[in-house]
Amino acid sequence: MSESRYNWQTKNRRIYPLLAGVMFCLISSLSYAQPNVIKVGVLATRGSNEADLRWQPTMMWLSQHIPDTQFFLLPFTLNQMEKAVTYQTVDFVITNPGQAVRLGRQFPLSWLATLNKANGNRDSSTTHAIGSALIVRNDSSFTTIESLSGQSLSAVNQNAFGGYLTMRFEVAKLGINQERYFSDIQFLGFPLDAQIYQLRDKHIDGAIVPVCLLEKMSQEGLIDKNEFRAINNIAPQGFACVASTPLYPNWSFAKVGSGNEELAKKIARSLLALPQDNAAAIAANSLGWTTPISPLSVDQLYRGLDMHPLQKPWWQEAVSWLKQNQQWGWMLFILVIALNGYHFLLEYRFSRSKRELESTLHSLKEKNSMLEHAQRVSIVGELGSSLAHEINQPLAAIRNYSQGGLLRLRKGLPAQELIPILEKIEQQVIRADSIVQRLRKLINKRQIAKAECDINGIISDTLVLLDYDFQKKQIHLTRDNAAEACLLWGDAVGIQQVLLNVFNNAADACIQREEQDNNVTHQIHIETHCDDSNVVIKVQDNGIGLEDDSELLSKAFFTTKENGLGLGLAICRDVIEAHQGQFLLEPASPQGCCVTVILPRLSKLSVDKKEIEK
Amino acid sequence: MSELKLSVYVVDDDESVRDSLAFMLEGHDFKVTTFDDGQVFIDQVDLMTPGCVVLDSRMPILRGQEVHAILNQQQSPLSVIFLTGHGDVPMAVDALKLGAVDFFQKPVDGEQLAVAIHKAMTHSLGRHEYQENKSMFDSLTEREREILQLIVKGKRNQQIADELCVAVRTIEVHRSSLMKKCQAKTVADLVMSFAKIK
Repeated sequence: MSESRYNWQTKNRRIYPLLAGVMFCLISSLSYAQPNVIKVGVLATRGSNEADLRWQPTMMWLSQHIPDTQFFLLPFTLNQMEKAVTYQTVDFVITNPGQAVRLGRQFPLSWLATLNKANGNRDSSTTHAIGSALIVRNDSSFTTIESLSGQSLSAVNQNAFGGYLTMRFEVAKLGINQERYFSDIQFLGFPLDAQIYQLRDKHIDGAIVPVCLLEKMSQEGLIDKNEFRAINNIAPQGFACVASTPLYPNWSFAKVGSGNEELAKKIARSLLALPQDNAAAIAANSLGWTTPISPLSVDQLYRGLDMHPLQKPWWQEAVSWLKQNQQWGWMLFILVIALNGYHFLLEYRFSRSKRELESTLHSLKEKNSMLEHAQRVSIVGELGSSLAHEINQPLAAIRNYSQGGLLRLRKGLPAQELIPILEKIEQQVIRADSIVQRLRKLINKRQIAKAECDINGIISDTLVLLDYDFQKKQIHLTRDNAAEACLLWGDAVGIQQVLLNVFNNAADACIQREEQDNNVTHQIHIETHCDDSNVVIKVQDNGIGLEDDSELLSKAFFTTKENGLGLGLAICRDVIEAHQGQFLLEPASPQGCCVTVILPRLSKLSVDKKEIEK
Repeated sequence: MSELKLSVYVVDDDESVRDSLAFMLEGHDFKVTTFDDGQVFIDQVDLMTPGCVVLDSRMPILRGQEVHAILNQQQSPLSVIFLTGHGDVPMAVDALKLGAVDFFQKPVDGEQLAVAIHKAMTHSLGRHEYQENKSMFDSLTEREREILQLIVKGKRNQQIADELCVAVRTIEVHRSSLMKKCQAKTVADLVMSFAKIK
């Protein structure tokens, strides 16, 4: 099973069959017995060749010390390593502490040994040898970690431990916004050397690399170490390399879950037994192996960066918190339900009261129109005697004509001679009818219907209704500009009602004055002015004048008359406002009151437009 | 004097009413004259001839009641009939108290109006006669009136002369003058005229 998986995995990687072939030759030359093949995955940070050079001697050492077992080196990138551990296609792994912790917290890994770092001149050793160095060109101006914020940086991989995460953790510890600091970072991948070359060639401003890379490359003659310097060098005393971050435990040797327990014991023993001057130790750039070191600092780093593998996604955390604190969860749930319920209750109440308001508004409008109607009817009542007279006159004439006609017919007069009389009768009928029509128009409950109407025509019509009344009250009426046609888009009946009110008020004011002061000629003067934008109707009387505040006068149900409803002026104002006009009441000199009605001469188009805007 | 020869005056400010009323009354064979204004009527008509006025009560310049008052003031024999658009009881009572013959509301029935006009004519003629007699009586001297009183009591000239302590001849002269002033040919005529005034 593991064989086939291995084959499957290596199909795409040409280098593995080759390596396998080389290994096989090597191993077969050492032992002719049927060997037990053990696969060891190793993180190839600087490419598989370097990995081979570094770790193959260790494999040899193990193969020599553990009989009947051959160790097979498999160089991996970070992702490949993770996959290999996930599918358990390897038995053991050698990897840096970052990945060791990441894998160790997700898969069953048993630590066998930690590499002992050779320190400078190989006379002392340290188990902590992993960290980042933030390298810049020596001639650049950067001096602090902060100064590189937002600059063009590079790192190997966003999961690389020594090459990136340790640096990121330092930045986080400094309280710098990580997003902004690493806003222009490129991840160049393995091999690490590329970053130093990019930095040298000025493609980037700073490179985040594992510690000792610079020194190693310099040692190998690939670069000149003096062209570069490290930012914030905090390497401990005696550490051979520059380091911008604290150092973390070194690489470790671990057994994957499927590895043989017995074999692990043998390997651990062999590794610990590796002398520091052995070729294998030297190739691994180490002083041999020691017992596993606590990876606590690495755990802390991952936790600090919010990347710890045991850290569950926030929602899982939330679910587990909820499971533990069910009472709070339920309370929260009930609270949400209750709030929602309350919201819907409010919504329901709101819409109910809105409906009520709407229906109130509707009935208010209805009442208003009824009130207007009542007011019109009451005007008719006030006009009563006048109307009776107006209608009686033609009726009387008709009766006289018809009786006179009958008398003549009885006396044997030819019917033909009565034709002019019948025509006169018809005229009288028309006269009576027109009075009735006018009255009906005034009384009828109506929808406000706007149409083009002539103000002077409306005034004349209104005066016809009042004619008799004015005569009775001996009011001397004068008019200016009566003949001029003055067209307006409006509600003729409404305007007529306003005018009726105004004229009636004027006449009443005159009569009231008579009570105080006899021998006065009652005068009412009506004037219309018509320009392009407005129609102005002025009605001036020499009556009793204004006693009260004109504001008060247009309030509903305020009246100075014994039998008045107090609605006239209020309704006038409503109607005029519906025409977007103005209604002004002011005292006239020397005596009386002047009512000015200003109506804008709106065309049908502009009225429609305004209504749409509303 | 025949009633139909007398004039009917129609005073109304409404042209159609005036015209139609004239047309109807002419149908009843009245002689009709129309006026659109009370003042014009008073200015143009001889108020001392008998006749009938049909007055509208509400008119712009001179109201019907005012025209009526002027007629009364001038002791005109003209009879007044009110014809109003909308009369009420107090208005009618006032009018009748002041001597109006009748009071109608428009539209009026032609027959009734004609009857009323006939009545008004009779009334007017009577009034005219009374006024003539009264003016005759008023033109008499104090002594003539004393003699007239005694004549009416049926006394003879001698008896009158005795009562007044004057000569019979004096009585005869007064009596002749009296008869002339009263346009009476017989004592019976004289007595009738006197009765009308009383």
